[in-house]
Amino acid sequence: MKVELRNLTKIFPSRNKKAGGEVIAVNDFTFTIPDGKLVGLLGPSGCGKSTTLYMISGLQKPSSGQIFFGEEDVTTLSPENRGVGLVFQNYALYPHMTVKQNILFPLQNLKGKDKMTKEEMLERAYEAAKLVQIDELMDRKPSELSGGQQQRVAIARALVKMPRVLLLDEPLSNLDARLRLQTREEIRRIQKETGITTVFVTHDQEEAMSISDMIVVMKLGVVQQVGAPQEVYDDPANLFVAKFLGTPPINVFKGRVAGGKLYLAENAVLDVPGVEDREVFVGIRPEGFNLDPEGPMVCDLKNVEVMGRDMSVVCEHPASVNPLVRAIINSDNKVDLSKAKVSYSLKPHKVFIFDAETENRIRF
Amino acid sequence: MAKQMKVLTEKDLQQVTVQQKIFKVLSQIALYTFLIVMAIIVIFPFYWMIISSLKSLAEYRLSIPTLFPKEIMWGNYLQAFQKAELLKLFKNTIIVGVVSTILSLVITIITAFAFARLEFKGKNLLFSMLLGTMMIPGELFTITNFTTITEFGWYKNPNWFEGYAVLIVPFLVSVFYIYLLKQNFMQIPNELYLAAKVDGTSDFKYLCKVMIPLSLPTLISITILKMMGSWNSYVWPRLVAHKDYYLITNGLRSAFTDAGSGEADIPVQMAAVTIVSIPLFLVFIFLRKYIMKGVSRSGIKG
Amino acid sequence: MVDSKHQWKAWLYLLPAIILLLIFTVWPIFNTVRMAFTVYWDAEAPAGFDEDGMQLCDENGNPLWGKYQGYTISKDLGNKKLADDDPAKVKFEFGLDNFIHVLTYDGFWTIMKNTVILCVLTVPLSTFLALLIAVCLNAIKPLQRVLQTIFFLPYVTNSIAIGMVFAAMFNIVGVNTTDVAASTSVGIVNTVLMVFGLDPINWINQGSTYWANIAVMVIYIVWNALPFKILILLGGLQSVNKQYYDAAKIDSTPKWRVFTRITVPLLSPMIAYVVITGFIGGFKEYTSIVGIFGEKMQPPGAAVGVPVLQTMVGYIYDNLGNAEGVASAAALLLFVLIFAVTLVNLGVSKKKTHY
Repeated sequence: MKVELRNLTKIFPSRNKKAGGEVIAVNDFTFTIPDGKLVGLLGPSGCGKSTTLYMISGLQKPSSGQIFFGEEDVTTLSPENRGVGLVFQNYALYPHMTVKQNILFPLQNLKGKDKMTKEEMLERAYEAAKLVQIDELMDRKPSELSGGQQQRVAIARALVKMPRVLLLDEPLSNLDARLRLQTREEIRRIQKETGITTVFVTHDQEEAMSISDMIVVMKLGVVQQVGAPQEVYDDPANLFVAKFLGTPPINVFKGRVAGGKLYLAENAVLDVPGVEDREVFVGIRPEGFNLDPEGPMVCDLKNVEVMGRDMSVVCEHPASVNPLVRAIINSDNKVDLSKAKVSYSLKPHKVFIFDAETENRIRF
Repeated sequence: MAKQMKVLTEKDLQQVTVQQKIFKVLSQIALYTFLIVMAIIVIFPFYWMIISSLKSLAEYRLSIPTLFPKEIMWGNYLQAFQKAELLKLFKNTIIVGVVSTILSLVITIITAFAFARLEFKGKNLLFSMLLGTMMIPGELFTITNFTTITEFGWYKNPNWFEGYAVLIVPFLVSVFYIYLLKQNFMQIPNELYLAAKVDGTSDFKYLCKVMIPLSLPTLISITILKMMGSWNSYVWPRLVAHKDYYLITNGLRSAFTDAGSGEADIPVQMAAVTIVSIPLFLVFIFLRKYIMKGVSRSGIKG
Repeated sequence: MVDSKHQWKAWLYLLPAIILLLIFTVWPIFNTVRMAFTVYWDAEAPAGFDEDGMQLCDENGNPLWGKYQGYTISKDLGNKKLADDDPAKVKFEFGLDNFIHVLTYDGFWTIMKNTVILCVLTVPLSTFLALLIAVCLNAIKPLQRVLQTIFFLPYVTNSIAIGMVFAAMFNIVGVNTTDVAASTSVGIVNTVLMVFGLDPINWINQGSTYWANIAVMVIYIVWNALPFKILILLGGLQSVNKQYYDAAKIDSTPKWRVFTRITVPLLSPMIAYVVITGFIGGFKEYTSIVGIFGEKMQPPGAAVGVPVLQTMVGYIYDNLGNAEGVASAAALLLFVLIFAVTLVNLGVSKKKTHY
């Protein structure tokens, strides 16, 4: 099922009535989620990603704009008629029901010609439970399950009625680090197996990058960029997207373009043909540095952290916005710690420049 | 896995949207109708009380009752005051209410303070024992207390001191109020107490300057519930108080004992009931928040 | 925290409360048990006293003497000092006579019948109504606060005073009047019944039936019990995580199923609480009956003897002042009954709400 959002806008009245005004949670969001894809809505808290999810589910009504499931306009349809599955951030498993009862619950609501016999329901419930590998736990209560298990039950409950669209709200945020890795692979696998169009919300860029077919980066209700994870990472549309994606984060400098050359603290570090002279922000990915004794970029060496295959060279640079500059270098290279300085040459495709005022990308 | 959920056609879609709207409107109408009908039933006795208190006996006895008095009879209130000696009853009730509330607050505060902030041997044991007594129905205490106050010579004693003491003293300590306040005191961070100690503040001063102001909402709840308690108490004063020290409810009931015989002067009776109820309504209107908070935590009436 | 040397200070703070509790709480617990199990036996002591402290006498005016149950404080009332130190005349001994007296009291059956009927009718009715009102209140936005206030209003009333209002509403005025000029009113409740084409009923007047009396009591008790129950249940509803309802909506759950499968189970601790307190209140019913029927606890003109609407508490108070042993035994029985019913309730609710 293709999901299409057209000029979707959500305006909340301001909480503080006296101050007046309103909060625009989602502003003019237009986007098509292709059928059978896994899409991650990504952004810092308060960017409107959860609101978007709730509008797709029908729990919140958009202030303007339309939502289509396939060719069908579902904008005014209430959630019970939309046929979506939603996994809540803290799962919202009914505490008084067993796992089995929780999973059966949506099936028991079906009416008319969709109505199933008890055996059919049980069969479907076990099928869903098997898919998320909790068929051993069917008679437990949610309080007797670990966070990861509860998460799986919640997914099974959302999947069991074969929703047209599966929605996941911060599905991994309540899990510990190890479970998070494991569960995100599970979500990927389940989504691939069922082929259900899936939208999930997260503030963790790594999570979104690792499993999504497509990510949508949002900030303050406005979509910043849409695309495949690698595409967005390699070609950010603005400084916000560049900063938000990638671990370790991108190094940001204040710089200047003059005569087709990029200057960082009076040193020309890179040729940027065709860019007008102006003040800019410069983003350099940690993997964008090459150790080069002749290199144009000279930093004060601070520290080297070896991480096995790679090492992280920590240094200072006068033009850097952050206190430290971090470079990821293959650990075959050697850095002489007794020296005070380290020199790099830059990989042009890992260097992005942004207008100092609009923070939009300037391509070269 | 099985087939995905069906896709709605354009026509289905419209139908569902319309159904949705109709259902929503109908359910709202049903909700409000039910709630308003129930609210009218709940409030009707009060309405009937007030309008009956303003009718003449002849009008009250009309075979088709009037929903509003034709002629407003304020005289019923004057009669009620005289017949039930309401002034004396008011005086007794207010004296008992105020004195017992003040003493009870003092005892509750210092006891809760000792349990919340001071260390002494057997504190937890003592406190659990206190909580245990809350399970026992009050009637069980009444029997022996009746004997005890008789031994004290307070039984139906016409002297003012004994007359009031018998109504006040047995109910000064409420384990529930101590519990409520102690919980409140415990929420005040310990650091405040230690800081006060470092500054050389005495326990008593700390209690007055810090803990009492911070627990004011709970204290107000306790005050209201205690006052309502003496306003509503019936059984104990009826058993042990001298007639001159009856509280409002006793006087009310005994002045109009002929209810149900068919011959009571109901308008005057209703006037008396209205007079007794109005202070409660006023308290309720102005202090509803505290009452509801206190009640939802207590589950005890009065 | 505080130096152990200063322990005496803590006890100083506790002193007033402890003294009062010892006298009015701790001592009564021991004493009630002691009195309940004590049989007082005195061949020459008066058989008892009536309410005004007068000795009970036979038809010829001679004081009644002999064995009777109940440790009595009437010795001061009747000006008859008992020679406690005379073993030949007075004996206190352990015995179950007081309990036997309560259980064989000819009104005991009436008490149990009234208690059971009132509990069985009022507790489910008031709980169900309160639940319905609370759920409806929770589902609306405009007028919510106003309606909530109205529904709480009966709580802050005096049960004797409003009992008199209910009595007036059910009262038939003028049935016995000799004044032919005065018209009669069947009471507002009967008037409403007549609007619906029903015959007026003699609810509480002379000659009214037991079931009519009970109906009035049920209506009054339910009316009185609603505010507290609504308050507790509404508080419970408002603390239920909204996501459960969102989840149910997503799963197209019909309203009725949301109510029975989600709301009620999630509220079950609060429901258990109001049911248990309702039963406890039902066992201790007294003032609301007095409010409507007066201290005789029956409609006027009913036969002398055991009051038609007698309750356990009423019986305890009847025995106060002349047979404390019996009153104590009755109070202990009441305590045991309440305790047992509470345990049963807890057991049932545990089976239904294990989460």
